[in-house]
Amino acid sequence: MLPTPYVKCDYETVYEPSEDSFLLLDCLEHEQEYLASRFRDGLSVVCELGPGSGIVTTFMMQNGIPARGSSMYFAVDISPWALEATDDTVRRNKCHGTYLDAVQCDLASCLKPREVDLLVFNPPYVPAEHVPEIPNAADDHSTWLDLALLGGENGMVITEKLLLQLETVLSKKGVAYILFCARNRPEEVANRMKATYSWDVELIIHRKAGWEVLSVYRFSRKTANHS
Amino acid sequence: MKFLTTNFLKCSVKACDGSNDNFPLQYDGEKCTLQQNNDIEFNAEFLTNILDRVDWDAILTVAADLGNNSLPREKPVLGTNGDLTEDDLAVLRDLHTLLICTSIVEGQMQCKNCGHIYYIKNGIPNLLLPPHLA
Ligand SMILES: C[S@@+](CC[C@H](N)C(=O)[O-])C[C@H]1O[C@@H](n2cnc3c(N)ncnc32)[C@H](O)[C@@H]1O
Ligand SMILES: [Zn+2]
Repeated sequence: MLPTPYVKCDYETVYEPSEDSFLLLDCLEHEQEYLASRFRDGLSVVCELGPGSGIVTTFMMQNGIPARGSSMYFAVDISPWALEATDDTVRRNKCHGTYLDAVQCDLASCLKPREVDLLVFNPPYVPAEHVPEIPNAADDHSTWLDLALLGGENGMVITEKLLLQLETVLSKKGVAYILFCARNRPEEVANRMKATYSWDVELIIHRKAGWEVLSVYRFSRKTANHS
Repeated sequence: MKFLTTNFLKCSVKACDGSNDNFPLQYDGEKCTLQQNNDIEFNAEFLTNILDRVDWDAILTVAADLGNNSLPREKPVLGTNGDLTEDDLAVLRDLHTLLICTSIVEGQMQCKNCGHIYYIKNGIPNLLLPPHLA
C-alpha cells in the first residue's frame, strides 16, 4: 500500500475525500508500473482536473506517479477554494519540493494543446437537473460545493465536455483516467469513444460504494506501436 | 505561478484556438510582481527534460515581457558529446532559476488575439471566462 496524503480542509466548501477519491488512488497505485514504463523517458506533464482537496495530486506527487523527479503537475479547478486547499494539502504533506501550479479554469480550456501526458479527473458525476452556474462571489460556499457534485443530465454534462477536449489536450503518449458512477452509463461511453474517436478505452478498477458502483476507465490514443 | 507554466497556458476563448496569437499570453511587465523561491531543488536531468520539451520562442517572448532579454536566441543544445559539461550545468542552473524558482505572484496577462485580460492573484492565474465568453 502506498502512503495516503493527510488532508484537512473546510468541507463546507471543498469536496471531502470520499469513496470515489480513494478508488482513484487505488487505481493509480494499480497503474503505477504501467505509467512508470510508459513515461520512462523525458518530462511528464500531469494534470488533475478538479483536484478539490488536492488528495489525488498530492498522492501522485508523494509517490512519484508517473515518474519521480521528471514530472510536473498542474491542478486545474473552477473553484478558488479547491486550489487553495490543494496548495495547502501539498504543503501539509511536504510535497512542495515538486513542481506544481494551481490554475483556475473551466476544464482544460486554457492548456496549450497536446501537452498533457497524464490526465486524472474525478468529475462532478451526480445526475441532476442542471449544472449550477459558477458563482460570482467567492463566499457562495454551497454553490462551490454543488459544483463539485452535480453533473447535470445523467451526471455526464461536465465529463462529456472533457471527452470532447481529450483529443486536443492529451499528448501523443497521453493517457486519461476518468471516474464514473453507474448512472453515467460508462460502458456506453467507452464503446462510443472506441468507435467514434478510435480511442483505446479500458476499465481499470470498479467498486461498490454504498448503493453506487464507481469505476475508473483509462483512455489513450490508439497507436500501432504502443504496448 | 512559476515562469515555466507560462509555456503551457493559452487563451481560454474557444474562438482564439484557430489563431496563432493565443499563445503565449502577453504578460504585463509593469503589473507583474515576481518572486524568487527555492522550494524546488536543482535537478539537472529534470531541467534537461524540460529544455527538450519547451517552446523556446515562447520562453523568450515571456522573458522579454517581464524585462529579461538575456536569454540566448536559440534553445541551448546540451551534452553534445554525451555527458553534461560544467558549462552545460551552468546553463541548466540559470534556467532552473528562471523557469522554476521565479514565480509571478500578482499580475496580469492578455491574449494577443482577442485582447482578453487574465489576472494572477496570490500566485494563482485565473483563466475562467466571464459567462458571455464561456
Ligand atoms: C467530485 S470532486 C473531486 C475532488 C477530488 N479530485 C477528489 O477526488 O476528492 C470534483 C471537483 O471538480 C471541480 N470541478 C467541477 N466542474 C469543473 C470544471 N468545469 N472544470 C474544472 N474543475 C471542475 C470541483 O470544483 C471539484 O473540486
Ligand atoms: Zn483570446
